[in-house]
Amino acid sequence: MSKKILAWAGAVFAALLLLPMVLGEFWVLVLTEILIMGLFAVSFNMIFGYMGQLSFGHAAYYGVGAYTTGLLMVKFGLPLGLSLLASMVMAGAVALVLGYFCIRLTGIYFAILTMAFGQLIFYIIFQWYDFTGGDNGLQGIRPPEMLDGAWSYYYFALLVVTAGVFVMWVISESPFGYTMRAIRDNTQRTRFVGLNTKKYMLINFVLAAMFAGLAGGLWGPFNRSLSPDLCNWHQSGVPVFMTIIGGPAGFVGPLIGSVIYTFLMAFVTGFTEYWPLTIGIIITMVVLFLPGGVWGLVERYSAALPAREEPPVDPEGEAP
Amino acid sequence: MNGDYILAVEGLCKAFGGLQATSEVSYSMRQGELSAIIGPNGAGKSTFFNLITGFHRPDKGKVLFKGADITSWSSYRIARFGMSRAFQVSNIYPMLTTYQNVRQAILVQQRRTMDLFRRAEHLARKETAELLEVTGLGEHHQEMAGTMSQGDKKRLELALALAIKPDLLLLDEPTAGMSVEETHETMELVARLNRDMGVTILFTEHDMSVVFGYARRLTVLHQGALIADGAPQDVRADEEVQRVYLGEEV
Repeated sequence: MSKKILAWAGAVFAALLLLPMVLGEFWVLVLTEILIMGLFAVSFNMIFGYMGQLSFGHAAYYGVGAYTTGLLMVKFGLPLGLSLLASMVMAGAVALVLGYFCIRLTGIYFAILTMAFGQLIFYIIFQWYDFTGGDNGLQGIRPPEMLDGAWSYYYFALLVVTAGVFVMWVISESPFGYTMRAIRDNTQRTRFVGLNTKKYMLINFVLAAMFAGLAGGLWGPFNRSLSPDLCNWHQSGVPVFMTIIGGPAGFVGPLIGSVIYTFLMAFVTGFTEYWPLTIGIIITMVVLFLPGGVWGLVERYSAALPAREEPPVDPEGEAP
Repeated sequence: MNGDYILAVEGLCKAFGGLQATSEVSYSMRQGELSAIIGPNGAGKSTFFNLITGFHRPDKGKVLFKGADITSWSSYRIARFGMSRAFQVSNIYPMLTTYQNVRQAILVQQRRTMDLFRRAEHLARKETAELLEVTGLGEHHQEMAGTMSQGDKKRLELALALAIKPDLLLLDEPTAGMSVEETHETMELVARLNRDMGVTILFTEHDMSVVFGYARRLTVLHQGALIADGAPQDVRADEEVQRVYLGEEV
């Protein structure tokens, strides 16, 4: 199973390496956006798909990440790489404080509280003119000269996003990742085998926020400017839509969702202003006719093929 | 109470609204017992289990386990300290395979759940395979746990409770929903765990043949209070017990 996944990942990575060579600048920018939003959506799914809770305020951490990198680069002249690390730390720190309260709730209450905290972050950034520029936004975020171009920044984003997604995949397959699935499936049982489920949920919440922060950090130098809308609840809806379209059950679902959503947005807004209507119809269709998302469909078809490999029951003990 | 007891409960009380679900229950168990609690529906058996495992907090009274006062401990801390429980309604991870269910509980026992970077697939293989074998779930290891039969789910629940290597195992109707044959197999397993591995076991059960076939000590709860406690034969002969069961053949 592992080999198959690696082969697929390698093929996709190779395609992403080669594709921009035959594309014009506009589509390279779209591809970059797909990558950044894909990273954001996968981080969202750490909470939604793996922990079983709907965060409707995930943009807060994306926004905190974006503003951290933006402010550090513009106001303090820090290099991009360092700023991105700071974005992860900042987003994680904010998530540690806000998540402490959120993980005490589940279901609709979790969703509402994450959204309320998200709006809190939005208003802080929106009102804090002296520091964040308020609703004027933050301008003049330029990537270093070496990355100052659609193609070079695309390859940089590809590198960072691949690393981020890879780390999240490793986590999802680790004992910690399975513990999150266990909490999702049955929190009570997980407590009664001796785990402090709240602690685990908080750690997962912080990890997810860190990767959202990384995605946000990538956005500023790409877009050259930031606006507080990046933390608004519309923005929190984007990874939700992507994950619903792509499918929350598989690790790659949100990535597929990002491809479909971002590509369609770029395509549709080219000839009509009715993008929200379009995505509304698509979401409705997916929810009604494709409940597992695109990935759910793929899995259903591949289920007809040879059975999924399971770890062989090996009495000889652990693999090295 | 002294250190001889693995579990010692003193004057436990719990009311839900006006209903006194548990009233002044004192009960203790020695290491190595295999005991049963019976009582009509609503006698307070499940509440009693909920109180000692930290699911509910008692209004009054004290719970000592392995010498420690665990009355105010959270359920996960009590479980980690060695008291494990299987629920009446099977309580498993329906979206994971049976193998993954058992492996998850074993990884908790091995304190490996904070590991972010190793592949779970490669861990605890031997222990998982063994426990699946012991509980007779080996052939189901690839099945989604949620799709198994009721009897198999109950067995999986038992496996999860066992995975953390408890000193005291509480089983709430371990054979509910099982066929006669499954019931027999499961209770043989329970007896074996008690005999060979020294696990102290307390179970509730409706099936009297199971109770009298396996329990070495029997306690009767009625309307939240403990009304009889002793060797099964003595309890069977007890007049009040007879009366509570309304002349049912106990």
